[in-house]
Amino acid sequence: MKTNLKKLLPLAIMLSMLTWGCAQTQTGQDTASKPATEMKQQAPTYTGKIIGKSNKAKTISIEVGKGDQAKTMMVKFDDKTTGLEFAAPGEAAIINWEERGDDKFATVIKPKLASLPEGVSEIKTDELSNLVKSSADIMIIDSRPASRYAQAHLPGAVSIPAEDMKTKAAETLPKEKDKLLVFYCGGPT
Amino acid sequence: MSPKAAGLAKKSGYTNVKVYLEGEPAWAKAGLPTYASNDFVNKGNIVLIDLRSTAKAEAARLPRAVSVPYETLDDRMEDIPRKAPVVLYSDKEKEAIAALGDMRFEGFKKVSLVYGSLDNWLKADGMHESGPVTTEISWKRKLGPGEVTVADFEKALSGMASFHSPNPVILDVRTNDETKSGKFKNAVTIPLDELSARMNELPKDRKIYIHCSTGARAEMAHKELQKSGFDSFFLVADVECKGNDCEIEE
Repeated sequence: MKTNLKKLLPLAIMLSMLTWGCAQTQTGQDTASKPATEMKQQAPTYTGKIIGKSNKAKTISIEVGKGDQAKTMMVKFDDKTTGLEFAAPGEAAIINWEERGDDKFATVIKPKLASLPEGVSEIKTDELSNLVKSSADIMIIDSRPASRYAQAHLPGAVSIPAEDMKTKAAETLPKEKDKLLVFYCGGPT
Repeated sequence: MSPKAAGLAKKSGYTNVKVYLEGEPAWAKAGLPTYASNDFVNKGNIVLIDLRSTAKAEAARLPRAVSVPYETLDDRMEDIPRKAPVVLYSDKEKEAIAALGDMRFEGFKKVSLVYGSLDNWLKADGMHESGPVTTEISWKRKLGPGEVTVADFEKALSGMASFHSPNPVILDVRTNDETKSGKFKNAVTIPLDELSARMNELPKDRKIYIHCSTGARAEMAHKELQKSGFDSFFLVADVECKGNDCEIEE
């Protein structure tokens, strides 16, 4: 059984990368302040939510992949690791790491930022749930595949899968061009 | 994906566009309710749960609903398949939201609520059943394309796939290490990572039934064989062998 699991691991990781993500990421933002020598062009990376950081054991755990495919990975860090402040539990981050002996060491940690199109801003859970609770006149649009919408969606949301946006937007979106539209999908990682 | 969609809306003239980047997972995590589409409630392959009292459910309930009064939900959770999408309803919104929270807390990932007032649902034409309730949860995962039932796989094992194509091939795609300790008597063994190089060992005019130890590799092998025009099927089940004595467990 052990060998079996080992064989499946790379596949599981590949599968997890195929699952439905939300944000496009931009990672170049904070690199200017870092010494150039720290930057590795094709360093292996883990992208996901930081689970925890142990200063005593000098390890960071990060959840990679989504849903059933999610796996918690562990990397060590040392004095040379940059961007440790971004390894805060619950935050999305990108960790570049390198192998030293049997261990993986984080070299550079960056926050995972979503890039929003011009003129579009982010809305957080609290603000959105208040709008929903007060029955505000808004339209919530679920950009995930229709099957995901069918199973569970935000109250009152309509379904326009991202790939159908060009064809279906006209018939579904409201006539009032100044109405608040809120788009969402399956989360940032 | 949603930022892109928001960008398109902005381009087509909408002036007040936002993106809820944290998305549905954060919404659920904050304890806020999510809802199933009406069509999914009516026709989806779901476990539909009526949280009200047995008496109320007997008087009128949604078709296909299983009666699990809220105070019994804790005890019944182990009867609910974890892979099943679960949709809950009650005549009290607070109760439905509490039940949703309980199930999420127990690790159920696909739980949602019926949207809208239950009264309106029950008033709609043909939208309710009455009489003795069922408390038994009978949910079966739908087979994916190319997937076989355990029963059909066992038929294939005994060499009777169908009258039209006798002599099915049983293909075991586990590793050599795994097949060393046992395999089905007449199985052809080709580890998944050798499959593309060894396809010529398989016949195109016979049905090929693929298994591994869980079904994950079998499905991948199936997809690979389909691309090359083989008549293949795969089994999603745990298979464990000692010698030629194999156990299949769903």
